[in-house]
Amino acid sequence: MSDRLTITFEGRMLGARPGQSLGAALAAAGEHALRHTSGGDCRGMFCGMGVCQECLVTVDGAPNQRACMVKVADGMVVHRQAAPGETPTARVGAAPILFADLATRSADVLVIGGGAGGLSAALAARSCGLDVLLLDERQTAGGQYYKQPSEALKVGPLDRQQRDGSVLRQRCEAAGVRIIDGAETFAALDASSVMATHAGRTAVYRARAMVIATGAYERAVPIPGWTLPGVMTTGALQTLWRSHRALPGRRILIAGNGPLNLQVACEVMAAGTDVVAVAEAADMLGPARLGAALRMAMQDPALTTTGIALMARAWRGGAKLLFGQVARAISAVEGGLQVELGNAKGGHGERFVVDAVALGYGFQPSNELLRALGARHDFDPGIRALRTVRTRECETTVPNLFAVGDACGLGGAPAALEEGQIAGLAIAERLGASPPAGVSADAAHRRLQRHRRFQTALWHLYDAPSPGLSLADDATLICRCEQISKGTLIAAMADGEPSIGAVKRRTRAGMGRCQGRYCGPLIAAHLADATGRPLHEHALFAPRAPVKPVTISDLVGGSSS
Amino acid sequence: MSSFDVLVAGGGIVGMAAALDLAREGRSVVIVDEGRHSGTTANAGSLHIQMQSRFIRMYPEQVADLERSLPLYPAGAARWRELEAELGADMEIRSCGGLMVAEDAEQFAFLADKCARERRLGLDVHMLERAELARTAPYLGDAVHGAELCVEEGKLNPLKANEAIRTTLQALGVQRLDETVITALSPAGHGIEARLSHRSGHRSLTAGQLILAAGSGTGQLAAMLGVAIPTGAEPLHVNVTEATAPLIGHLVQHAERMITMKQLGAGQVVIGGGWPARFTGPEEFPAVDPASMIGNLSLAQHIVPRLGALRVIRTWAGVNTTTDGQCVLGNLPGHDNVFAAVPGDAGYTLGPLVGRVAAALAMGRDPGHDIARFTPSRFAAPA
Ligand SMILES: Cc1cc2nc3c(=O)[nH]c(=O)nc-3n(C[C@H](O)[C@H](O)[C@H](O)COP(=O)(O)OP(=O)(O)OC[C@H]3O[C@@H](n4cnc5c(N)ncnc54)[C@H](O)[C@@H]3O)c2cc1C
Ligand SMILES: Cc1cc2nc3c(=O)[nH]c(=O)nc-3n(C[C@H](O)[C@H](O)[C@H](O)COP(=O)(O)OP(=O)(O)OC[C@H]3O[C@@H](n4cnc5c(N)ncnc54)[C@H](O)[C@@H]3O)c2cc1C
Ligand code: FES
Repeated sequence: MSDRLTITFEGRMLGARPGQSLGAALAAAGEHALRHTSGGDCRGMFCGMGVCQECLVTVDGAPNQRACMVKVADGMVVHRQAAPGETPTARVGAAPILFADLATRSADVLVIGGGAGGLSAALAARSCGLDVLLLDERQTAGGQYYKQPSEALKVGPLDRQQRDGSVLRQRCEAAGVRIIDGAETFAALDASSVMATHAGRTAVYRARAMVIATGAYERAVPIPGWTLPGVMTTGALQTLWRSHRALPGRRILIAGNGPLNLQVACEVMAAGTDVVAVAEAADMLGPARLGAALRMAMQDPALTTTGIALMARAWRGGAKLLFGQVARAISAVEGGLQVELGNAKGGHGERFVVDAVALGYGFQPSNELLRALGARHDFDPGIRALRTVRTRECETTVPNLFAVGDACGLGGAPAALEEGQIAGLAIAERLGASPPAGVSADAAHRRLQRHRRFQTALWHLYDAPSPGLSLADDATLICRCEQISKGTLIAAMADGEPSIGAVKRRTRAGMGRCQGRYCGPLIAAHLADATGRPLHEHALFAPRAPVKPVTISDLVGGSSS
Repeated sequence: MSSFDVLVAGGGIVGMAAALDLAREGRSVVIVDEGRHSGTTANAGSLHIQMQSRFIRMYPEQVADLERSLPLYPAGAARWRELEAELGADMEIRSCGGLMVAEDAEQFAFLADKCARERRLGLDVHMLERAELARTAPYLGDAVHGAELCVEEGKLNPLKANEAIRTTLQALGVQRLDETVITALSPAGHGIEARLSHRSGHRSLTAGQLILAAGSGTGQLAAMLGVAIPTGAEPLHVNVTEATAPLIGHLVQHAERMITMKQLGAGQVVIGGGWPARFTGPEEFPAVDPASMIGNLSLAQHIVPRLGALRVIRTWAGVNTTTDGQCVLGNLPGHDNVFAAVPGDAGYTLGPLVGRVAAALAMGRDPGHDIARFTPSRFAAPA
């Protein structure tokens, strides 16, 4: 078959589809264990979006490749990454350079992140005649809501979200927004310039104003067995199917908190998997939730109906819907992964044996660039995360630095779209450009208010106490990268009143490849509880460049030969 | 008001090492640490011994002083090895040897000259030509022409070392007041009174003796007692890569450019060597300067090309203390019971030794080293 590629994994021949990620091809073949740890375990894809670094494999001799981000290619020779991996031999490096030697690219407006928020900001600013440059780290911009599949994959008809995303992107391109796909922004220099790598080179990007629209990633809730291969986030499961047309097995269990779980359950059921159960931590059927449901319906009847329809579909499809239940432990058994459900407070519930488990507990804003630039953030107990302090026009406390979408506070895709437009128009006004006749931000502001009310009601509906570290036992790893257990962390946190930095130095938690993205918020929350001090922006790990790991040869321009 | 035998101002490596010796000798000790600028919690873990040629080039007038300080460095590294054994802790200390690489004949000749002088001063150093170097350090790239090897140089893991010393002090009953600012110091009777401020309130304490081991903050404390010590705060940058299989066996430096490289036990490569960071905000918080990533890491992959395939996963900034290049160690002029203890260049290497000397001085014992040259009174304005 001409549209099939062949790769080998640990010597085994596997088929793959062009346009898929390597990780998706491996998952479809049932290969979940991708890297070895120094502790003797194996890990597999967890986040599916390039953040967790658990999916590292060696591709054609090159170590440390994220399977979820690498496009599969015919003939790839893939191995599980050893702990630690070997670097390939090289005798000659590139000539040393200094920062001043880097190429510079300029525009009026720089947008970091091409999801709903970033694309919409770029389009609005461009429509006022400004020169706009948009950088997105993915092969195809679009972000987590639009999840643009690779063209090569020929997925057939796009779903509605993908269609909307594709239209928005085309409008940006037609309007002349300069979109650079595959450009990873790894450092912010000041309010209007960043460094990014693209195609193996690093450049400085400068503008007169900047919009940060880097979205969110998924929150971690550690339970015994959550590091087993085959256990992933709900978003990873969704990405596998919607962007790569791959499924990690036949029987799947989804557990956690929040609206994404049911949606993804329906998506993968429609694709033919058997979703045996969806466990939702919130007791949504409780009478206290009725008010929230009604408020949602008032703000957005269509979305609310979709939500109800999803529940009905999941139930009709044969999935058990269990409210007030969480996954308490996962273990590897003959024939798959055994998941034990239960009440969050204890007690044993039903057990299921499945091929893959998806855990989804909502999101964490990707606000590293904003925080590194000194933009102020307040802790918002409502979303249990930092919220970027912004003006009504989405400008941060750093002049000319704007922020939109989930990066600054988990508002959802419809809100990100409106915020993008508001920020784009505000920047145009700031830079002396005028909007096309008849365009103003007023309507966007009105719609934004409605989306925000909907979102607030949605969170009320799904409100459930945050499990934090409570579902983990002493041996459960909290820092997956450095393999630091809950027991070790609790002991370090109980010794005096250490800052989060001191806990990091004592235990190494947060020093690994994911840069503390998963354990950081958990440790901060635990310290805040223990000391009775409220969470605040400095209670988290200090954000520093590189905000994403960056390959050294890319920093120098070319690769070493 | 609580009172102690000794107040140690500053809980970095020097303050902790001094407190360790004092507590072991039965003295009651309190460490007060402001928790702001520190080199100890942020250093790169090189155990330096040979003279850093960058300083020789930058400050030729200081070469004589550098040479006179040289014997301290092997003693400092030796004190680290003893400490690791005494505490029964794994600090990942390795006397792996340090290579200072040259890229051309001119740099090689410069190193050969430095090597000859260091040999005369008793260091175990020798020059390696390209072929021999390729056998000793096959990871170095073709750009490297030769190197000076200092056999006793090495590395350690500061995180493990600091933690081992911290918990030992705790077990010995040394009190540590963190995030506490010293607002005033004054002579009181035969001792010293210190006024302290913490977010929970103000307090005072007295101590028979005071050791000023506050790194870059030492000058400010000495000024409270009317003595000038010109300590400066220099923010510096460090990078660390993801882990890789054993690759770099030595501590690696360059004859002409700023760089240090070494691999930790778990496989990460730490790359630093004095690239600048910057202070931000009213608190002067040290923050990394992304520009330093480019210069420092591009040099790293030039010398060790295999590093090019690795990703840098973290950077951090710490605060180094600058003096006139040498230790400031001894009695504060006019204050019999106050001692300054600031290490010279490569202060983490010297830390345990400098702390030990300060403790000996506070106990009225022979410090075991000739420290006359390091006296704080050298900064006193000529009358
Ligand atoms: C895994 C996942 C799945 C989700 N699925 C859904 C869903 O099905 N339905 C739904 O309503 N909501 C979903 N959400 C929530 C959704 O992310 C948001 O509501 C919406 O996408 C917000 O848009 P945004 O523009 O703020 O961010 P995003 O859409 O996340 O876009 C951010 C973009 O920034 C890019 N980026 C991030 N960091 C960098 C960097 N350093 N350099 C360059 N580019 C960068 C990313 O590649 C991404 O394309 C999901 C979220 C996640 C994390
Ligand atoms: C990034 C970096 C890398 C380095 N790498 C190396 C290396 O590889 N090898 C090496 O040998 N050296 C290295 N150094 C130098 C070394 O770290 C320092 O010289 C050494 O740690 C100094 O120890 P110290 O105890 O004198 O001072 P510090 O470690 O600076 O400690 C001083 C302490 O005093 C406290 N303090 C300051 N002012 C006050 C005050 N007014 N009141 C109370 N407390 C106060 C501070 O909070 C701090 O904890 C490096 C330095 C930096 C910054
Ligand atoms: S699964 Fe690839 S980085 Fe998380």
